[in-house]
Amino acid sequence: MISNRKLIWPLLALVAIVQSAALFDMVRARDSLLKSGREITLAVQPVDPRDIFRGDYVTLGYDISRLKTPNAQTDFPPGAASVGSDVYVTLAGATDGSWTLTRVGSAYPSAVAPGETVLKGRVNSIWRDESAGQTFINVRYGIENYFVPEGTGRVLEDKVRSHEIKAIVAVATDGTAALKGLIVDGERHEDPPLL
Amino acid sequence: MWSPYKRRIKRDLDRWQSMGWVSGESRAAILADVEASGREFGLAPALGVIASILFGFAAISFVAAHWQEMPRLGRLMLLLATIWSGYGAAGWLNTRGLAQFADAAILFAVGMFGASIMLISQMYNIGGDPADGVLMWWIGALFAGIALRSNPALALAMILVCLWSFFETSQRHAVHWAFLIGWFMVTAAFIWQRWQPGFHLSALTLAAFVVSLGYQLDDGHQHDLVVLIGVIAAGAAVALEKFRPDVDAALGHFASPSFAYALAVALAGLFALQFFETPPLGKLIALAAVALILILAGIAYALSTGNRGALWIGYIGFSAEILTLYGVTIGTILGTSLFFLIAAMIVSLLAYVALRLARQSASTGRPA
Repeated sequence: MISNRKLIWPLLALVAIVQSAALFDMVRARDSLLKSGREITLAVQPVDPRDIFRGDYVTLGYDISRLKTPNAQTDFPPGAASVGSDVYVTLAGATDGSWTLTRVGSAYPSAVAPGETVLKGRVNSIWRDESAGQTFINVRYGIENYFVPEGTGRVLEDKVRSHEIKAIVAVATDGTAALKGLIVDGERHEDPPLL
Repeated sequence: MWSPYKRRIKRDLDRWQSMGWVSGESRAAILADVEASGREFGLAPALGVIASILFGFAAISFVAAHWQEMPRLGRLMLLLATIWSGYGAAGWLNTRGLAQFADAAILFAVGMFGASIMLISQMYNIGGDPADGVLMWWIGALFAGIALRSNPALALAMILVCLWSFFETSQRHAVHWAFLIGWFMVTAAFIWQRWQPGFHLSALTLAAFVVSLGYQLDDGHQHDLVVLIGVIAAGAAVALEKFRPDVDAALGHFASPSFAYALAVALAGLFALQFFETPPLGKLIALAAVALILILAGIAYALSTGNRGALWIGYIGFSAEILTLYGVTIGTILGTSLFFLIAAMIVSLLAYVALRLARQSASTGRPA
């Protein structure tokens, strides 16, 4: 511990302010993404639960979580994907509010139509089916975990299983996605922005 | 100083006094000096550190339990308040001259900083990428450690760098070279602080990283590189100790423990080459011979320089080598009897080296 008596209080305050500012910035960045990001809703697929660090949460899977290549819309050669690399998927919105995959690429697409939105993900795992000549790429977008009050995860998960849940996702212009809330049985569940 | 040293010097002083070499006055003066010199890492500060960790856990579980009843702004304020109260307590304890307890309070505050990152991630449903959170945490811990010159915070920063690297490695299945950047920054802080336990933590984590390279590079078959790095580092430590003792002293006599860590790295690499790679018998025998020569050389050097750590690494390495070789060679052409013959020859050689060293030290008057 520092021995200079005069400096101790200013330095303690400096450390406390810097750390608080870092936390505050984390909140601010997330809040602004939730507020200003383009809102889309995605159908949710069931996956398995629980995080040892943070209590109860539900793991959400999406149609775009598992990409199949080669397919018609992709400029994403199977060899280009490696675990940890970035993936950009383009979704087109339909009039009924659903979003479908139109393109997959390893870079942000140069032209995006007004009705489309781009999500940035990261390759989590790759599985090659040699006989069928296909590659399955598992992608994470950072919208896979929804934290719930302790003990209520099971109920939500059953609903995920019976396809009664949709996810509300905010997408920033660079493709970063944030989970805003859930639509359960047609009812919106979402926390108001903090700031 | 550690108390075993105190006990021993007391016993020696009793003997020297009875031989008439030391007067009663000198004995008291020496003991008083031993008592006063060196910072005693007593029970109270140790309990203080443990208590601060427990306070941290208590705070986290309290917050987690009452999470849902609290508005989100309230949660954020509560988290910030715990951090600030930790630093406030540190300042108060420090002005009362309780520097070690102040360190414990800083450790608590840095721990709460990490808990806040986790809980904010939870608030915003940011999951699945704990590495980014730990990255932010270790930078915060390092900043607190440097600004407040707090060794426990720096030690936590080093542990977090390892955790961060572990998450990144398990996510990407590739060597996480950025570990070295974090390692270097925390190690530089340790050097600046001249904190010996920190050097050991640095050496230990770097050794673990080098050994892990053998299992990661080239699809997990790069153990030769590990052996090479270990041998070169051990050679450098020996050269530093032998030829530039002045530089070694300026670095806080770190050549001797470095030698022990380097020896451990080289032996870990050789162990993997022999027993994980399943080489043909001829190559296995050659590698085993190299390993045993290295172990014997390490033990001999450790004995001649009084390097306790390296001596233990040598003994443990020798036992592991012999036992594993025994297990591997059962039922092979080499046969168990031949194995015992070789082992016996090696131990005889060891005994011979020990005898030589004992004679040498008897003639120079230095204990082996």
